[in-house]
Amino acid sequence: MTSARIARARSATVIGVDAHEVVIECVRTRGLPALRIVGLPDAAVREAGDRVRTAVQQCGLDWPRDRIVLNLAPADLPKGGSAFDLAIACAVLAASGQVPADALDGVVLVGELGLDASVQPAATALTVARGLARSTASTPTRLLVATQTAHQLGCIDRVDAVGVDHLREVVELLRGARVRRPVKRHPPRRRVGDDDLADVRGQPVARRAIEIAAAGGHHVLLSGPNGTGKSMLARRVRGLLPDLDDAAAVDVAAIRAAAGLANSTDTIDVTPPLREVHPPTTAAALVGGGSGIPQPGDMTLAHHGVLVLDELGEFRRAVLDTLRQPLETAQVHLGRGRHHVTYACRVLLAATTNRCPCGRRGDPARACRCRPDELERYRSRLSEPLRDRIDLHVDVQPVDLSAHTSDGEPTAVVAARVAVAREHAAQRWGRGRLVRDATRDELSRAVGQHARARAQHAAKALGLSARGLDRIVRVARTIADVEGESTVGPTHVDEAVQYRAFGAM
Amino acid sequence: MSVDHRAAAVAAPGTDPSVLAHVVGGLARPRHGPGRLLAACRDVDDPCEVPAAMAAVVGALDASERAAAGRLLAAWQDAGVRVALLGDAGYPHRLVAPWPSVAPPVLLAWRGQPPSDSPAVAIVGARNASTYGADVAAWIADAVGPPAGARVVSGGAVGVDAAAHHASLASPGGTTVVLGCGHQVSYPRPHARTGGLFDQVVASAGTVCSELLPYEPPRPGAVRARNRVVAGLADVVVVVEGGTHSGSLLTASAAAEWGRTVLAVPGDVRAPGSQAPHRLLAEGAAPCTGPADVLDALGAEAAPTVNESARADELAADGPLRVIADAWPRAIPLDELAARADRPVGEVLAIVGRAELDGRVVRDGHAVRLVRSSGDTTHGS
Repeated sequence: MTSARIARARSATVIGVDAHEVVIECVRTRGLPALRIVGLPDAAVREAGDRVRTAVQQCGLDWPRDRIVLNLAPADLPKGGSAFDLAIACAVLAASGQVPADALDGVVLVGELGLDASVQPAATALTVARGLARSTASTPTRLLVATQTAHQLGCIDRVDAVGVDHLREVVELLRGARVRRPVKRHPPRRRVGDDDLADVRGQPVARRAIEIAAAGGHHVLLSGPNGTGKSMLARRVRGLLPDLDDAAAVDVAAIRAAAGLANSTDTIDVTPPLREVHPPTTAAALVGGGSGIPQPGDMTLAHHGVLVLDELGEFRRAVLDTLRQPLETAQVHLGRGRHHVTYACRVLLAATTNRCPCGRRGDPARACRCRPDELERYRSRLSEPLRDRIDLHVDVQPVDLSAHTSDGEPTAVVAARVAVAREHAAQRWGRGRLVRDATRDELSRAVGQHARARAQHAAKALGLSARGLDRIVRVARTIADVEGESTVGPTHVDEAVQYRAFGAM
Repeated sequence: MSVDHRAAAVAAPGTDPSVLAHVVGGLARPRHGPGRLLAACRDVDDPCEVPAAMAAVVGALDASERAAAGRLLAAWQDAGVRVALLGDAGYPHRLVAPWPSVAPPVLLAWRGQPPSDSPAVAIVGARNASTYGADVAAWIADAVGPPAGARVVSGGAVGVDAAAHHASLASPGGTTVVLGCGHQVSYPRPHARTGGLFDQVVASAGTVCSELLPYEPPRPGAVRARNRVVAGLADVVVVVEGGTHSGSLLTASAAAEWGRTVLAVPGDVRAPGSQAPHRLLAEGAAPCTGPADVLDALGAEAAPTVNESARADELAADGPLRVIADAWPRAIPLDELAARADRPVGEVLAIVGRAELDGRVVRDGHAVRLVRSSGDTTHGS
């Protein structure tokens, strides 16, 4: 008996936001006609056999009357979903000589097949394309996907995406009987509108603080009595952020896909994410978790965007403390059983809190009735290390509507200034980098001797820690960027001093 | 003979710190058993004989007790804390004078200047102070300073206590904090940290003192005992704000025992924080309607003329500071300041930041209040 010919087609599976290449090996052996799939397939992969056979026959092609074995390699990597259909079909067709076997070299196929042989979009397509673009292959890989998904892949460099609608089209492409349709390089982009900052009356100090937060990527905590518009302000931080660039938009889309949230198939969403989290949340919902492959939490879903934590004092302390490491490293590591996943979470934290359990503390018109021990308990929820990671602390006061009749600036005006300030940081440190991202060395080169001396004087006079000093220097650098100054002046440091915590929450 | 010399005489290495605390606690603690030192002094009728009675007890200590006491004193000294036993030269005379009707603390441990016998006003009130309470505390604290030549005495708590101390930091006599816990206990945390209120008080020629051993926590009993020391160290006690069960009521009753004058600041009749001062008023405390009442009670000559012109010239260049000065003694919220100053909010904050670093204003939550330097005069009303 001569050794059987093995045909190979490439596809990929996704764990978390990481794509792993899967090679589908197909071999025909003697025996009763049957299809056997090995290599840790889940139910959806096992059902691929019926879909693929019907689709192949729909195209007028032959389904081999042999015993067919398909191996999904590497065999120990669990595989799931319907995105292997297209690759399985091509592997079978190559094994039976209906498409040239070498035509499958350098091609990755990701798509589901309908019974009518139409190619359906797969949720993993974008994540796979992102993974291919990051791999070190010297030539761009061709990626065959459904036409609907191909549009949004146009923004990923180093991947040669090809959109196909039907299995017959794929066969013709592989046979060289058809010229591929190139994907448009610049897919349409979409930005979701936000509530406007002009809706917020008064609050000049808090407005200034969120402008600085948006410009430098600083975390901000707004504290004050009930009904002062803290949450309104926090929610409007997103509107101040510029559109995501292509790479960031793809990161965000990949995370949304990992969380099972629907992605638009035809446009790239360049809106920075906004996740609002409220106190009855769990650590798993906040940083990620779940059984099987760990799912991304709100922290990761807000990657490149804004994480709003509303009523920080009402969160359980254990939940809040899970934020410490992710805020520091901008990454979440999750290990569940055999799966270890790392998700990115470069977020801007915009938190709000009352200053006491009854929510009246700090309101000149209403007396707080909380007992000192209740206050102490409330304050201790926000641990010192977490408080230390927040650069901007602002006390928000109730607005006296008669005194503040002038409406504030609209989002568009402030966002334009933020964009300019971010551009200054990008020119210093490289594209997409903010004051928050600068290393200590980079920061010290960008802050002059005078400003540094003033900050040290302030830290000494106010009894601040080394971290507190670093925070003042960073915020001062951002303020200078917002003001369009290339050097940090003493006034910028003086202003930065005002955004620190004052005993009260 | 001062305690420091005795410490040198009795110091011996290798004593277990817990034994030490026990021994000295047994000697000194008035609230847990009579305490041998205190018991010895109880038999004395004349305050002049107290030092001799104390010396007798100290002289009768056995070797291990001497060693323990010596170690404790050495630990205190290492932390920059000085100690005077009842009857020592450094011990304030005013605490011994009403002997034997009131039991004074057996020891006083202090950082900064020694507790003094000069005229002093205690300003006490709620931790959960309203803006009104904090403003009034600051107003009175500021007014009793340089012109009247009195010091401020209060607890180390947040709220009214903190407002009073902050307002009198710049006063030449300094301000006196009486802790409700030992010196090595970090309480309340925002004040006890490096560079916090207590460090500022020590740095500006003030006193931070406690009658407790270094590691005693702020138990409710200890805080109540502290209030009695606050009253003892003052000539006049002003109660600014407090609830039904406020510790300021205890301070007021201790003041009555010491024979000090008690004043109460009327408040909003609807506010929970007005209950303590209103009850005191009903019980016969004098109403405090402004610094003048406090100065009258002190017997000091009030300086009724308001001379703001020098200050105004100094501040004229800085618009926001002018607004802060005009609002005095009210603390002005930053948002209101930004709206009134009619300048970009960043610039306003920078000016406030500079003034704060220079010690010309203090931040009180979201609001900012002028610190009036020693050259200023008081408001007449």
